[in-house]
Order: sequence, then C-alpha cells, then structure tokens
Amino acid sequence: MQIAYYPGCSLHASSELYDIQSRMVLKQLGVELKEIEDWNCCGATSASKTDDFLAIALPARNLGIADASGLPEIVIPCSSCYSRMIVSQKKLLDDPVLKNRINAELTKKVEGKIKISSILDVLVSKASAGEIAEKSIKKLEGLKPVCYYGCLLTRFPCDVEVPDNVENPQGMEIVCKAMGAQPLDWSYKTDCCGASAAINDTDTSLLLMSRILKDALSRGANCFVTTCPMCQLNMDAYQDRVGEKYGIQKRLPVYFITELLGIAMGFSPDEMQLNRHFIDSIGLLMELKLI
Amino acid sequence: MSSPVLTLEPELSKTLLQEVMDRSGQNLLACYQCRRCAAGCPVGDETGVTPDRLIRMILFGEKDEAFNNLLVWKCVACYTCGARCPNNIQTARINETLKQMSKEAHIEPLNPKAAAFHDAFLTSVSHFGRVNELEFMGLYEIQNTRSELKRGGGWKAVVGEMKKQARLGISMMKKKRIHFRLDKIKRHSEIKRLYKKAKDEDGG
Repeated sequence: MQIAYYPGCSLHASSELYDIQSRMVLKQLGVELKEIEDWNCCGATSASKTDDFLAIALPARNLGIADASGLPEIVIPCSSCYSRMIVSQKKLLDDPVLKNRINAELTKKVEGKIKISSILDVLVSKASAGEIAEKSIKKLEGLKPVCYYGCLLTRFPCDVEVPDNVENPQGMEIVCKAMGAQPLDWSYKTDCCGASAAINDTDTSLLLMSRILKDALSRGANCFVTTCPMCQLNMDAYQDRVGEKYGIQKRLPVYFITELLGIAMGFSPDEMQLNRHFIDSIGLLMELKLI
Repeated sequence: MSSPVLTLEPELSKTLLQEVMDRSGQNLLACYQCRRCAAGCPVGDETGVTPDRLIRMILFGEKDEAFNNLLVWKCVACYTCGARCPNNIQTARINETLKQMSKEAHIEPLNPKAAAFHDAFLTSVSHFGRVNELEFMGLYEIQNTRSELKRGGGWKAVVGEMKKQARLGISMMKKKRIHFRLDKIKRHSEIKRLYKKAKDEDGG
C-alpha cells in the first residue's frame, strides 16, 4: 500500500531520527511512503502569528503537490505540519476566492481531495487490524509509558472532524497495548509543552513541562511516548533544566512511538537511532531486557 | 487577582471589535463569559488576563489593554480555550490577530523575543522554501540582540541569552540533532510569489 508522505522541516533536521524510524516501521507494516516532490515548509505556528495569507498559502502549495501525486492519502508525522495542512485544506474548501488567488501562483493547483492523516491514524488502523501485534516479535513488557499527545493532534483552530476523543484520546494507548506495553492513565496527555516558547519564553515553557513531568512521575510511568517532534524535543532537551529548576530528580526517556514499534519489531537500537536522545533512552530498554 | 474596571467606549469599540472579528474569523459577540476558557488556559495564572477578559476588553473598545497584555504575548496557541468554548470562539486566533495588528501599528511587543522568533522563522522560509534551523536561529539571535540593545537592555542581557542558546546548541550537536546540509526547494519562485502576494495583501 502506497501513501503520500510529507516529512516537513523537523524530520529533515533536528528530528531526522523520526523520519528514519517512520520509514522503516511503516515499511514493515506494508506501507510504502512516497515523499511528495519539492515540498516546502508549512509555516508552522509562526506563519499564523505573523501573516494570515502565508499561513494558508504555504501549506496549500504542498496540498497541490500532494493532490497531483494521485495518491488518495497523505501521512504527516509532525503534529504542527499536520495541523496546518488540515487548517489550510478546510479554509480553501470554505473560501473558493482565496483558493483561486493562491492557485494562480502554483504550478500544481490545490484540488482539496487528498485525505490528510497523522501517523497515529495510520498506526491505529494497523493496530486494529491486528498487524502491529503480529509484527511485534518482542512484547514490550514492563514498559509503562504515559502517552503524550500534546495540543495539535486533537485540537484545531477551525471546525474539522477530530479522529479521536478530544480530551482523552486513546489512539496511542491502542498502539502501545498492541506492542505489549502497559500505558498508564494520566491527566496531562493533551497539555502543552510550550512548543516554541521553550526558545522565546523559556520560563513559561519550563513551568508547563514541569507539570507534565510531575504528573507522569506521580503515575509511576517509566517513559513518555509521543508522535510530535516538538513535544519530543522539548521534553527531551529541556528535561534537565526542568528538573534543576523544580527540584525533580528523576528523568524519563521520551520516545517517538515509531522507535518503540521498531524495538518491538526487532530492529536494533542503532537502526532506531536511540543514541540521539538527550535523556538516556537505552538504559531502560536494557533494564527491561528488551534489547 | 484583581481586574481593573473597564469603561465602554462605544465609538472605539465598534472599530476594534469589527476588525478583530473580521480578521480572526471569531464571533466575539457570542461570548457569555462562562470562563471555561479561563479554567483551561495553561498560561492563565502567569498572564493575569484570561481569554474571557481579553474578549471583554475588545468588546469594550479598550485598545491599549487589548494589545498590551501578557495573554497576547504568552499564549502558546494550544487551542484549549477554543476546544472548550461552548460558542466555538478560538481566542488563540484572536491573539494571533492582535499580534499582527500591533506589529502593523508599530507597538512594541510585550515579549519581543516571540516577535523576533516568528519573524526570523518566516524569513528563513522565504530564503529556502524550508526552514534551515541554523540560519533561522542565527537570524533570531541577530534580531533579538538588535531589539535588546534598542530597548537599552545592554550587553549583559544579550550575553545571557547567547549562553542559554549555546548550551542547547552544543548538546544538540553532540546528539546529532543539528544538520548542516542546505535544503532548498526547486520551484523556489513559487514561494517568492506567495510572499509577494502576502505583502501586497497587507498593503491593500
């Protein structure tokens, strides 16, 4: 099965490991990712805070390229890219005048027909079909993650259909259980890590992350699992500073869901690029005898 | 937390309210102050002003307060307020609109770093069609230094900021989370045309 693929800038830079893992794991699940040609940055949250036209037009160019690929579905692992593409597609559906104005500048015009999926949408359908359990040659016993969704998988700044429960999503739990892990219930699964505020308003972001880390620890979690590259980078790269500032001694590895799938499928830690984490993410898996 | 009394300015309120509603696409008139947004706002404790208060300010035409409050500048755009609003008002969108309006009116932002960050990001996208994280952070630091010195913050503040970012940069390099390749798209002219159109629209 072929699905169009939009990696976005993060997966080509600071979260390259997520790109590598996604390709390997989805291939194992029988999904061939066809990266769309000549894609551009979606504008992320910066465009919507600076320029309403670019906030729609930048993702629109990618949607045009994706429509022209002829594939029925596109998967977008980065939550921010995913959200911006959904917002743009919906806006252009509602506003044909704007759609024409943007299309006038594009080689590949937006039609608006391609189905936009998060990586979780794809994985949940595979889990429901029993394919993840089948491919998991190792059961991730002893792994007690809290599933961290962040903001952009379930909350959109416009009226669109949300594929999971808005306040208490379950998709990641379904996938974790299919790998034999024991995901825990917790209160901060859809809370914000601050995203770019980590850089431009650090104290606010550290406060938000401290609440997330404290709740995860109080539930007895031994790791985070996420699908969002910004959540992953923030909770991973800033966790020491959060701990220092708020007197929290314990640290938790922050896994992408794809690397846990990779380990369950029998890929090596090197293949999954586990050494590219800030908080040690190999020790726990060794302790649990999963690698 | 105490809030100052708001005074209704009928003439001022009409123009401010209309512009915010038109540009953000949000129907502020539907707000009945139930404060579900305030209860869910993750930065509400820090900002003092919560989404319901901000909407009230705009309805009352309190332009200065609407632009100069911490909510506009500390909002993390998590969309919790909008997801919980019974009337479907996205205050995060209102905050985005107010940021844009205050930039157009040359009002000094309460968090200049946030403004510098988003400007630098879009500038980097205009150069390559994709974000080059190294160039982007460089642009951000330059803009930051400039505005810090302009505000009289002095070199101490600049050096402090640089040290903080250097610590992150070095650990990212160690973990191979920084890339030095140049990712430029082929049909870059399309991006240029979209930026030009964006500029023309702002002018009009």
